[in-house]
Amino acid sequence: MAIRRIEVRERVMERNDTIAGEVRLRLGEHGVPALNLVSSPGSGKTLLLERTLQDLGRELRMAVVTGDVQTQNDADRIARWTDDLVQAVVTGGACHLDALQVSNALEALDLDATDLLFIENVGNLVCPASWDLGEAAKVVLFSVTEGEDKPLKYPKMFREASYAVLTKVDLLPHVPFDLEQAVAYARAINPALTFFRVSSIDGTGLDAWYGFLRELHQSGGSMRWERPTGQGVGAAVDARAGYA
Amino acid sequence: MHEMSVALEICRITEARVGRDSLPRVREVGVIVGRQSGLEPDNLLFCLDALLGRPPFAGARTELEVVAGDELSVSYLEVDDGDPPH
Ligand SMILES: Nc1nc2c(ncn2[C@@H]2O[C@H](COP(=O)(O)OP(=O)(O)OP(=O)(O)O)[C@@H](O)[C@H]2O)c(=O)[nH]1
Ligand SMILES: [Mg+2]
Repeated sequence: MAIRRIEVRERVMERNDTIAGEVRLRLGEHGVPALNLVSSPGSGKTLLLERTLQDLGRELRMAVVTGDVQTQNDADRIARWTDDLVQAVVTGGACHLDALQVSNALEALDLDATDLLFIENVGNLVCPASWDLGEAAKVVLFSVTEGEDKPLKYPKMFREASYAVLTKVDLLPHVPFDLEQAVAYARAINPALTFFRVSSIDGTGLDAWYGFLRELHQSGGSMRWERPTGQGVGAAVDARAGYA
Repeated sequence: MHEMSVALEICRITEARVGRDSLPRVREVGVIVGRQSGLEPDNLLFCLDALLGRPPFAGARTELEVVAGDELSVSYLEVDDGDPPH
């Protein structure tokens, strides 16, 4: 027997990151900022997108790619609010979207007629943190019914995100949830996080969210399209009213 | 939780290298896993054993090196050239 050792030294995420880089470049060429929405299952990603399309749809052309392990329910829900195509990716078991799925989904979208792209990732606070999709920024959502310490339990996701959206604040009177504590925990993990506090039911905080989306769109062509560091756009909007 | 996706990608990298360099049978796949990579080493090993036990790999072993940091890479392949011709 003749045994040989071949040096490989290849990063496992190499291929995904290469494709993500291509997606980022392509979106940048069309001036389309993409937000990758991540959260545990049921934190309110789809409802926030439904509200956003409903309220801002006449002003901004927004495309959506949704990822779910099974069903295209979320895409169907979102499609009710827009005439544009909503792309559903059924991962068939995988706990996250990857860059190739997003790249393929872009094929069906008209990027020249798009101002903003939302990617609703699979509900999961662990896995999607490891996959770059070519987004301008990750937005992590967590609801007031999940407990203040989500950032401490899932630090990687909060480290990767540039924005955090505290959802379902209409439920605050009904659940013991210390909002300041939640923000403090998240900032301990990632001091650069910009916070939004919203309710997609009664509309609390949505103006600030929409203001951010408008600003993101306006900066679309001129933004730096490198991997976000939590600075840049986030720092610019952080000082304004409505942001935590 | 995404150990299976990572294991599949490791198999893809291995297959691609075997194809590119026309390598003979792979005996061992060396993988480096950082403790902060978000992966559970035992779980990854389980997935890799399951995948590498099937064609086209025919029972290659996995050698996991757990390190500090968030590295995640295929470090080497050990291949068997078989008996030299007489
Ligand atoms: N009270 C209240 N309920 C909400 C709010 N946002 C979402 N919900 C409810 O929470 C549930 C889950 O909301 P979704 O928008 O489907 O959550 P999701 O994050 O898209 O869920 P997955 O895609 O399955 O991960 C639904 O029953 C929503 O009606 C909110 O702001 N307030
Ligand atoms: Mg959803």
